[in-house]
Amino acid sequence: MTRLGWQRALLLLPFILVVWWLFAILAGWWAGRGPAQKVQANAQQRALGRYLLDAADCAACHTAAGGAPFAGGVPLHSPFGTIYGTNITPDPEHGIGRYTADDFYHALTRGEARDGHQLYPAMPYVSYKSMTRADSDALYAYLMNQVAVNQANPSNDVRFPANIRASLHGWNLLFAGADASPVSQGNSPAWQRGRYLVETLGHCGECHSPRGVLGQVDRDRPLAGNSELGRFAAPDITPQGLAARGWQGASLREYLATGASGPAVASDEMLKVVSLSTSRLNAADLDAMTIYLLGDAPPAPGTLADASGGPDGAAQRHYFNLCAGCHGRDGGGVPNVAVSLRANSSVRDSSPHNLIVAILDGLPEHDFPGLARMQEMPGFGADLGDAEIAALATWLRQQFGGQPAPVEAAAVRELRRDL
Amino acid sequence: MTMLKLKINGQDFGPIDVPEDMMLVDVLHEYLGLTGTRFGCGQGECGACTVIVDDTRGPREVRSCITGAHYFSDKPIRTVEGHATRDAAGKISALSPVQQAFLDHFSFQCGYCTPGFVNAATVLLERLAKSPVRKEELEDTITEALNPHLCRCTGYVRYYQAVKQLVLGTPGLIKP
Repeated sequence: MTRLGWQRALLLLPFILVVWWLFAILAGWWAGRGPAQKVQANAQQRALGRYLLDAADCAACHTAAGGAPFAGGVPLHSPFGTIYGTNITPDPEHGIGRYTADDFYHALTRGEARDGHQLYPAMPYVSYKSMTRADSDALYAYLMNQVAVNQANPSNDVRFPANIRASLHGWNLLFAGADASPVSQGNSPAWQRGRYLVETLGHCGECHSPRGVLGQVDRDRPLAGNSELGRFAAPDITPQGLAARGWQGASLREYLATGASGPAVASDEMLKVVSLSTSRLNAADLDAMTIYLLGDAPPAPGTLADASGGPDGAAQRHYFNLCAGCHGRDGGGVPNVAVSLRANSSVRDSSPHNLIVAILDGLPEHDFPGLARMQEMPGFGADLGDAEIAALATWLRQQFGGQPAPVEAAAVRELRRDL
Repeated sequence: MTMLKLKINGQDFGPIDVPEDMMLVDVLHEYLGLTGTRFGCGQGECGACTVIVDDTRGPREVRSCITGAHYFSDKPIRTVEGHATRDAAGKISALSPVQQAFLDHFSFQCGYCTPGFVNAATVLLERLAKSPVRKEELEDTITEALNPHLCRCTGYVRYYQAVKQLVLGTPGLIKP
């Protein structure tokens, strides 16, 4: 090409870009249109869809408190900003009314909406990518036969540069491909089913697996716990982590089914998971989840070592003054009032994170799907200083949790809400 | 057993030998004869056992049925017995404004929850004296303050009305 030809081509470049840009807008608009879909589904298909919807815990992010079912608007706070669960009712304007079964499967497993925009990975498509087409179709059939709600989606509040949705193509290329390695050893049919329920539908790893700096799940340490996402940490639920805190198949299964098992009760986000999802699973699937989480050959539960390091007068006084009124002098708790602290899963945890947060903030009243209840716990962040809470947590962990390591005051300071 | 000194309604008590895990309400009842504070649910939920603590963060409500007596060793307490004005002989000469308002409005029936409501409303009035609210915020403020207190005779409306009228009739509690 001559020198003149190059210059002409360069002059044409802005024009080409503008045309391309207009074309992209038009294509997006065109793709976003299309007829509203009508989907026939019999009672059996709908029942299966509803079951899968519970197993995949769609309502947690797509049904707002007090809002219409699946109409979206649930804020999800992430290190990158606040993302809202969207309207997934069959409304053609704001929901998924124009989605075909293909579009739906593509969005669920690839994280790309019908109009071509990339979903944020707050939508767990990285977990859902291994969902079967049949399950996707059943979910689709159920959702498309719900009441359409004409409710606009709130705009997300995601910080730059994460708010450039196109950058998610790169993120997906790097992180969305490979499967998480299984958390336990096993091969039985129940274990296989459990893997699908835990890793794919239940997307447990989205909260329980550690994440890297770009928010990607660390595939080498599946379900090893994550303290970065919420106020409370999602604990280590590997077979070793569970066994160390005394979990066995029977107690884990009861916890998933009812939200409470002995000295362990679900709180915060996990209470929501149990209420909306795991408590609605059938017996075989509860077995399967438990078998997958602990493995075909579950490790023996850890025994509660006697770690009490002698009397700590001050910490014990705090316990009698502020805790014993509900949890009892011996830490045994009161049924349906205050949880037992003896062998309590959070007190036994190698990390004191959740124990400290509970002492600082308190806990709201709990109503468990299994009809058990726990009353509100007041927070003691204003009553006790960092060193006092550290001493109290240390004493509790030694007395009731078999954890000898002292809790540092710095750990409490870090977790104070106002810092 | 551990020795305990308390300051209740301006009066010093003790030292008395009190078990280290005994709750304040039991000490008030069993050791000091101050039976006006009620034991209700025993779980800190109903508010009948509420006392007022006047420490650096006070005046504030504390549930005496779930708080160990030794917690109060360095914290002055007010109980329902301390609100009325008494003459030289110790006889009650005038009720506190909150107590009088509850009587005037027939706020309570069985009266079991009343000591808790008196203390909660007293704390609210003292708070409003320091930081008044706008008139349109008053009802929400009262609801927020009294909501944790349960009345099984369901006298809530008359409790709330009594407090509202008292606040409106007391200079300085409403932002001009």
